Amino acid sequence: MTATTPRPGTRGHDHAGSFAGTPDDPRVQLDRDLGVFEPIPPYPPRTERESEFYTLRDGEMFLNMGPQHPSTHGVLRVVLKLDGEKVVDLDPVLGYLHRGVEKLCENADYHQAICYLDPLEYVSSLFCEWPGVMAFEKLLDVQVPRRAEYIRVLSGELNRVASHALFLGWMALDLGGLTPILWSFIERDEIVDMLASLTGQRMLFNYFRIGGVNGDLNHEFMSRLGDWMSKATEQIEAGNTLLNENEIFVRRMRGLGTIDSKTALRMAMSGPNLRATGVPFDVRRAHPYSIYPELDFDIPTRAEGDCLARYLLRMDEIKQSLRIIDQCLHQMPDGPVIAKLPRLLRPRPGRAYAGIEGPRGQYAAYVVSDGTDQPFRMRIHDPSFIHLQAVGVMMPGHLVADTMAVMASLDPIMGGVDK
Amino acid sequence: MDRPLKVRLERRFADQLTGPVRQRHDETEIRIGPGDVIQVITALHDEPEFRFEFLADLAGVDTGEIMQVVYHLWSTTTTDWLRVIADGLSRDDPRVPSVTFMWKGAEWMEREAYDMFGITFEGNRDLRRIYLPPDYQSFPLRKDFFLPDDAARSPGGGVRPMERTHTPRNAPPTATVRRAGA
Repeated sequence: MTATTPRPGTRGHDHAGSFAGTPDDPRVQLDRDLGVFEPIPPYPPRTERESEFYTLRDGEMFLNMGPQHPSTHGVLRVVLKLDGEKVVDLDPVLGYLHRGVEKLCENADYHQAICYLDPLEYVSSLFCEWPGVMAFEKLLDVQVPRRAEYIRVLSGELNRVASHALFLGWMALDLGGLTPILWSFIERDEIVDMLASLTGQRMLFNYFRIGGVNGDLNHEFMSRLGDWMSKATEQIEAGNTLLNENEIFVRRMRGLGTIDSKTALRMAMSGPNLRATGVPFDVRRAHPYSIYPELDFDIPTRAEGDCLARYLLRMDEIKQSLRIIDQCLHQMPDGPVIAKLPRLLRPRPGRAYAGIEGPRGQYAAYVVSDGTDQPFRMRIHDPSFIHLQAVGVMMPGHLVADTMAVMASLDPIMGGVDK
Repeated sequence: MDRPLKVRLERRFADQLTGPVRQRHDETEIRIGPGDVIQVITALHDEPEFRFEFLADLAGVDTGEIMQVVYHLWSTTTTDWLRVIADGLSRDDPRVPSVTFMWKGAEWMEREAYDMFGITFEGNRDLRRIYLPPDYQSFPLRKDFFLPDDAARSPGGGVRPMERTHTPRNAPPTATVRRAGA
């Protein structure tokens, strides 16, 4: 027997050929399974834009990114249209994480609806609850006790720091740097554990209630917060120097994914991504809510509108958040943490809209009441959804590898995008 | 509540308003017909006394009787959120002009409203389903779409209840459709 002849029982060309082309052929089976993620959809185009996108010009090709791509921060599929290594156009395909939160809220009562809001953006849960709870309070004309407002702002700003710390890590990870995410998880874990001692949960806090918060500050939370605050500024500075002074990082991010203020407003962007283009729009100042008018903090802005500006702006925001936390601790009033409300809530028929500033931009809720104990319509507005759309404006002309960098700099969370 | 804004809106849009200007907490609400959307939105965005440059939200609403499209706008000229309700869209064929000419970012929000309510936004270049699969037939946030638990009460009860479109007109009398007065 020569070396070229396949031995019996092994996979030689002879063996594979015996069922080539039949439904049992493993290769055919493989092709069929992969067909699910083929970039070109198996149906005729439904819109003008779709037919335009799925028509290739000379030298162009499609590349499918996701839905299990590690850099898309969740289950997102992006179909890229490439010319060589340059991105010509892209078409994000959403819905892999769609749960129908709005419909679920409409089938729950006002208290139950709050817990559906948490998992929207699982790294900043408190900000997802906040607009919903605020809109319910507006419908019911409830006055929230001042101590509850202070606790909300305190825990919210902590959550903002945790979210931005994670952004820093993820962004570096998407660019190929492993160290920053390990560093940023030190901060995030400390904050998340702190909030767990306050709320009882590490990620989906479910802490805000209609008319206040679930529980008062406790000793464990306060002592951990005190420890953390004494070294937070230092640690965050140390984490920043890791990237701010890294030449590879800075040179790659500068001038990447640039968007100007006019386009950003036209794309309905908000939050740090809008402020990085020079528009000082922050809901905390633009449309004050809670106790923010009483607090002293700045709205950092940057003019460049590129990835580096978005990154640096978030680092500036962390500093402002620490200022706010400090003021909250000093000004914290005494009193109840939740307003007295009946267990069964039936607001008068009406409509309410509440918008707040979260770590990614404007989170908002629009609630319509029909006088029953369930919201008639609950609309949730999520900034990640809006910002993901802007990737299509920023990407054309950049390299494939920069898709992840641009997307990471906008910081979308797929739980919020897909609702 | 910003009283002067109410006066300005009443004066400027006297011909377009289909209801009184309502104000509550920090919100001002106007109602217009779907045909006036482009005119009113352009005026609100461009005219120096309004300058509503930031589109805070765009949502579809099904009241059980009619459909609405609700825009929330923000401006430096007022301390209120402005809510513009394009009112009175028919449930059988809801149509409203798209605002993508003003805010390109409204494109996905309109796709979402189309996906969930079946509202057609005329002028949106990319009006296809965004969350649900392309072969999906019905519109889940409509008030006659029931969750699986309630399938027996649904107007299409029995015949693939998750995948049918209904109009309350054709619904059997035993079906319960939740309705709110507009």
